[in-house]
Amino acid sequence: MELYAMTAAALSAAMRRGEVSSAEITQSVFDRIRAVEDKVGAYVTLCEEEAMAQAAAIDARRRAGEALPPLAGIPVAVKDNICTEGVRTTCASKILGNFVPPYSAAAYEKLVAAGAVMTGKTNMDEFAMGSSCENSAMHPTCNPRDLSRVPGGSSGGSAAAVAAGEAILALGSDTGGSIRQPASLCGVVGLKPTYGAVSRYGLVAFASSLDQIGPFGRTVEDTAMLLSAICGPDAHDATSARREYPDFAAGLGRGVKGLRIGLPREYFGPGISDEVRASVMAAVEAFRAEGAQVREISLPSTDAALSVYYIIACAEASSNLARFDGVKYGYRAAQYENLTDLYERTRSEGFGDEVKRRIMLGTMVLSTGYSDAFYKRAKRMQGRIRAEFAEAFETCDLILTPTSPTTAFRLGEHVDDPIRMYASDVCTVTVNIASLPAISIPCGTGDGGLPIGLQLIGPRFSEALLLNAADHYEKLAGGFGAVPAVG
Amino acid sequence: MTFDINHIAKLARLRLDGAQAEKFAAQMADIVEMVAKLPEIEDAAVELDPQNPMVLRPDTVEPSLRTEEILRNAPQVEAGCFVVPRVVD
Repeated sequence: MELYAMTAAALSAAMRRGEVSSAEITQSVFDRIRAVEDKVGAYVTLCEEEAMAQAAAIDARRRAGEALPPLAGIPVAVKDNICTEGVRTTCASKILGNFVPPYSAAAYEKLVAAGAVMTGKTNMDEFAMGSSCENSAMHPTCNPRDLSRVPGGSSGGSAAAVAAGEAILALGSDTGGSIRQPASLCGVVGLKPTYGAVSRYGLVAFASSLDQIGPFGRTVEDTAMLLSAICGPDAHDATSARREYPDFAAGLGRGVKGLRIGLPREYFGPGISDEVRASVMAAVEAFRAEGAQVREISLPSTDAALSVYYIIACAEASSNLARFDGVKYGYRAAQYENLTDLYERTRSEGFGDEVKRRIMLGTMVLSTGYSDAFYKRAKRMQGRIRAEFAEAFETCDLILTPTSPTTAFRLGEHVDDPIRMYASDVCTVTVNIASLPAISIPCGTGDGGLPIGLQLIGPRFSEALLLNAADHYEKLAGGFGAVPAVG
Repeated sequence: MTFDINHIAKLARLRLDGAQAEKFAAQMADIVEMVAKLPEIEDAAVELDPQNPMVLRPDTVEPSLRTEEILRNAPQVEAGCFVVPRVVD
């Protein structure tokens, strides 16, 4: 097997045994990038020279007898809204097209400390606003399983890079499903951690109360390894939780006997395609056969979740994106008459349409005369949604749902219809609204061999439980992680 | 629920030309219709994270970025300051 197609766990073990070097692995990944990136378009910026230097440094430390962390020497891609000192960070927006951060995000610092090798910065929907990666101001990304289809979004570049073998692992961010939905559409594993588990310091803010950085991998074990490397408290993020985390990869393999799994009937309704429902239910039967206790539950306010999400997320976005004004960093309009004109021209020329729509929706729901009807109502409904999850977790350990209502749609299929695009997040937004962790794993394929994903949702800080159940399913399914031929 | 797209754009410091304003107004109307379906309930609004209240860092002097690092990304700089158009006549 080519090195780029192997798992982080296998590569880490092979490096420890001295069978392979990080330089060879990194070279293999860049050879793969050269072979398929023209078709996939997963990256905004490639860092081959820096990556080869990092790999050589790790190899030298290993040869000197140093005991290195498990991710040392493993090539990892980083979403382009995570600040990387000295490496352009664009959020796939014209307004940040030339922004080179003077500091690194805490999660990226942890990756560097773990010895990971950064391959580059991955494409995304502009400012993480979108579900298809088509809102990128740079270029669209194609799904490696079918190049005529979207990879999902907003972390579509990260999902596509991992799926195509253009990275072994990747970091994404998830505000309403932006890790889990592309993981599902590309046939890889993606985990959205509990709010507060991973520092948001240095993540360009979209909706601060919902945003969370998380890992992508081709297997559950790889995803667990990356999560272990990035989670933990951080004084620079006041919402970061002060707690200890276990070694997630070491906690796998405990089985699912007696595990109580809830199936919320609202997530299996008419909006879910038949092939998705059938694949997810087949996985449910596999869990049941392994001794899990499956029961139907109800989360009655699920219908309101998309509205709650778009109100809260856009309200926060309208405030967070006010900082892009052409003064301190980023794009500035060439012509302007006064300060207000400078702001308006810079923002109108610098932001894409979807970002403008969301800024305006957020501005509206917070404005005089509308905030009671929209924002305050959404915050109260958020409390109701949280309470319903809390009640569900009194009778079940985990909740199982589809991740995306359909398999990957065609490029261009929903671009002119924001509401249709928003609907692809219907199964994932509740998790962010309730600050919960959730993982998406592959559970078969539909028409045209397109991947289908299922989502496991757990109580706050139940990542170990989620990963264990996901890993057990992966073993039953005969293992994830195969890299497809591209094109 | 009615809204004035040009007023909202102005509040958001965005400028829309006629055709854009029309397109955005139509799309926003659909989005507003979707979010306006939210039922009114009496529950209390939630705190961000009740189990993990935010703790502020002590206000102590620590190493931070240097001025020139901060200014490196600015579109226009003069004498260690950001340059903007005249704001006072």
